[in-house]
Amino acid sequence: MKKRMALVVIAALLISVLAACGGTNDKGTAGEGEKPAGGEKVKLSLWHNFTGDDLRAQTMRSIIEQYQKDHPNVTLDIQAIPPDGYKTRLKTVAAAGEMPDVFILSNGSMTQEFSAAGLIQPVNELIDSHQDWKDGFMPNSFDAFTVDGKIYSAPMGLSPTSILYYNKSILEQNGLTVPKTWDELMNAISVLKGKGITPIALGNKAAWLAQSSIFSSLADRVTGTEWFLKAVKQDGASFTDPEFVQALTYMQDLGKAGAFQDGFNAIDNTQMEQMFAQGKAAMMIDGGWALSNLASNANAEALEQMGATVLPTIPGGKGEPNTLSGVVGVGMGLGKDATGTKKDAAFELIYAMSGPDAQKRTLESNQLVSYKVELDKSKVSPIFSEVYELVNNVKLTPVYDGKLTSAGGEAVNNGLQELLMGGKPEDIAKKIQDAQSKALGQ
Amino acid sequence: MTSMRTRSFIAIGLLPTLGIFIFFVIVPIVWSAYYGFFDWKGIGPMKFIGLNNYAEVLQDPLFWKSFKNNLLIVAASVFGQVPIALLLSLVLLKNGWFQKFIRASIFMPMVLSSVVVGIIWGYIYHPQIGVLNFLLDSLGLGSWKMQWLSDPSVSMYAIMVPIIWLNVGPYLVMFIAALQNIPSEIDDAAQIDGAHGSRKLFSIKLPMIWDTIKVAVVLCISGSLKAFDLIYVMTGGGPAHSTELLASYMYNNTFSIYRFGYGSAVSTMIVVISLIMVAGSQYLMKSKK
Amino acid sequence: MSAPMTRPLQPASSSRSEAGLPRFRWLKSKLIGAALTVYALVTLYPLLWLFISALKTNEEFFSRPFGLPSHWNWSNFSRAWEVAEMGRAYVNSFFVTILSLILTLVLGALSGYVLSRFQFRGKLLVMGVFMLGMLIPIHSTLVPLFILMNKIHILNTYAALIMPYTAFELPIAIFICVAYMNSFPKEVEEAAQIDGSGYWGIFFRMMLPLALPALATVGILAFLRYWNDFSFALVFMSDPKLKTLPLSLSVFATGYSTDYKLTMAAMALAVIPTIIVYLIFQEQVMKGMTAGAVKG
Repeated sequence: MKKRMALVVIAALLISVLAACGGTNDKGTAGEGEKPAGGEKVKLSLWHNFTGDDLRAQTMRSIIEQYQKDHPNVTLDIQAIPPDGYKTRLKTVAAAGEMPDVFILSNGSMTQEFSAAGLIQPVNELIDSHQDWKDGFMPNSFDAFTVDGKIYSAPMGLSPTSILYYNKSILEQNGLTVPKTWDELMNAISVLKGKGITPIALGNKAAWLAQSSIFSSLADRVTGTEWFLKAVKQDGASFTDPEFVQALTYMQDLGKAGAFQDGFNAIDNTQMEQMFAQGKAAMMIDGGWALSNLASNANAEALEQMGATVLPTIPGGKGEPNTLSGVVGVGMGLGKDATGTKKDAAFELIYAMSGPDAQKRTLESNQLVSYKVELDKSKVSPIFSEVYELVNNVKLTPVYDGKLTSAGGEAVNNGLQELLMGGKPEDIAKKIQDAQSKALGQ
Repeated sequence: MTSMRTRSFIAIGLLPTLGIFIFFVIVPIVWSAYYGFFDWKGIGPMKFIGLNNYAEVLQDPLFWKSFKNNLLIVAASVFGQVPIALLLSLVLLKNGWFQKFIRASIFMPMVLSSVVVGIIWGYIYHPQIGVLNFLLDSLGLGSWKMQWLSDPSVSMYAIMVPIIWLNVGPYLVMFIAALQNIPSEIDDAAQIDGAHGSRKLFSIKLPMIWDTIKVAVVLCISGSLKAFDLIYVMTGGGPAHSTELLASYMYNNTFSIYRFGYGSAVSTMIVVISLIMVAGSQYLMKSKK
Repeated sequence: MSAPMTRPLQPASSSRSEAGLPRFRWLKSKLIGAALTVYALVTLYPLLWLFISALKTNEEFFSRPFGLPSHWNWSNFSRAWEVAEMGRAYVNSFFVTILSLILTLVLGALSGYVLSRFQFRGKLLVMGVFMLGMLIPIHSTLVPLFILMNKIHILNTYAALIMPYTAFELPIAIFICVAYMNSFPKEVEEAAQIDGSGYWGIFFRMMLPLALPALATVGILAFLRYWNDFSFALVFMSDPKLKTLPLSLSVFATGYSTDYKLTMAAMALAVIPTIIVYLIFQEQVMKGMTAGAVKG
């Protein structure tokens, strides 16, 4: 008897777990291609990572809400995924061949890999149907989303990555001006160092920062953009070329001169930004993302002291001097399963999230955009307007990890950490070259 | 003499567990090992390449570096966490409020997210405002100051401390539970025989809980070979891969750089390595009983 | 095993007869006590730090990491609760965790009993198979599990978490139970068999109560694992209505920056149940001796 009882209990437990749960929800695994009845009701899945309490996330969420109000016939299945887990989740689901209809798509390698696997659809149709919107974007905005002439998304932001932020009062107190040339920079470093002030704050724990912010622009100054693009394709240039080794050497010289504080590989970019905001360093080389961080974490007085410019020129460098490395932000991609009326609804959603109005509101939430919008300076911090002016007046050069393969980018990240710890530039150049050529399958 | 009744009890006792386990654990493990035979980005077409991935794993210096780092973590766990937890469990076996309080406190780091633990230890090791360097300074040991997390010659060791500190709690609970199970008569009998202190510990108590210690060691080994979240928060595996572990190496390949097939091969290698180490540890510990 | 319980809570260590020099022993125990207290405070501090940090502003979080906030921002808690939708996540986490826990404990104890007290062919193989499950890094099982659960249509249901959680925790549960039950004397079953109890009777009336400390240990470990799991919850749960707590805790990090005040507040709110659960289970861990003596 007892035996039967126990069996029944276990069986019941198992079944109830499976069944009770199974019953709760059966709808909507991503991309179930369903037929809208009479072209009326449409179900659309949307994946985004605007989950936080920051201005940008709030703005984007309100745009999505507005879309829902305006489109009562569209049922949005919204998944707000924590940014830290977004890529893991997307890649797992993509590996299983299931795609959401509209989702945040990174440019560069993700766009290339996903389009090669046929997981995403081009949005040329949408862009061409709004000519004024298309014209509103800054030059080359669609490049990073373009594969074989097809455009897969429109950028919702812009990240200049190598802005030289400086603290006006620290420079002034030490009789220095904003460094315009490499020699001026080296001089500033030695003067500041002599007085016990950290010349440049650096937080390179996550490894991409030195690559994206310092090296992308520094190397471009030395090698020129053309060389880099050839090296990326492994077509007529190699990362073992002398100009690249020289770029690495410049980077190492910066470290050897004591430009950065001790232990820069142990703190992250937020801590670095905080260090700069608190006046504990004279300069910082960081991207546009720092602006929203600074706006929410630094006081008004500290913000007043900040200025922004491009990296100094390098003697004999092949690159154009007055440039910034930068890359467009993520965009909304269109999954392979969104067809028919679903696709129409998806296009409208993409337009709502990255159209002219959304671009303007994004800019006003302290996020630069790759779109021509007049900035209302009363709505943002002074340093934000300064960077906005800067970005609108200089040319953008490519960011290393935006162009390299993921494996190549990783190799540069780790190589720069090694370089700043005393590694030999030639060896590191070789490792980068190997990683990039292997990833390209050569 | 296994009767029908016994046999059916064994079957009923094991089959549901085995069923769930095989379906949700073993099938994915085998599946993942299978992906290891393919050149696959995680999306798009798969190309069968036989044992190439596995061969590449064995030739990648970075894999071996991660392996070496991981061995350090395993050693720190097995020879740090287990003895400390055992010692504490002997001292904290009473059920007074003081012991309860201490036991609970020791467990508390476990309930915290590794983000919190990582941030706090990051400040302890901080190059400028770090508590540790400050202490060394005030003790007149300024020359011992280090960049604890960014100097590759010390970073792995610096990381071992929080790992031990964090994980003592669960083993303490396990050992306390096991020690509670020693019937008081055995204790009394030993007492009458005149066994005291350390002799009683080694001749009576340790053998009684030896099985539990063995399980603890297995948990330690498998946990250390799979774990990377604390290190990920503290150093991100860097600088320049100097604190890379097997699991983070696997994760990077699988989800960061579009080498899903290769990442699967690495994870199969992790299973194989763990299996060898677990078997070895059990063999070494067998003779003692 | 029929000796009456003479000293139910007497500790197994330190008894007066060992004392050589009473004064020396007194000093020694005080020293040990002091050392333990210091150690406990060091391990307890991070919890305190978490709650203090949850009340700061982001600027204070960085400028004075170990200081007190100048103003106690209690609103951080409500803001975090609201933005991260923690209310619903709490309910989901409780539901998933408790169901997984029950399943783990029942199956783990039963299989542990079988593997510890019975001899049969293939036993080593079964143990070996369970061992495998403890060794795989879970990230590499994400894709196969996703495909598998998609095929049997349990993705986006609570079962998509409950089943893998249970399956991955079962080996640990079984190994802890087996190790613990191995040390029970044979007389335990023999006495029961004379009473005429079948195996189920022995299991429910003898083994379960006797193994309570081991089950409590399993319970603590399993609870922590289920409550804090991020990877499975991230990949297998896409319906926002079914989201569990760990997902709520990471919504404030954008990749370029983290809103620490709200992250800390959310974490502080999420950690409270684990402390309570630990305290409840700890009591059970300590019940072993009493239960054992009574049953014997």
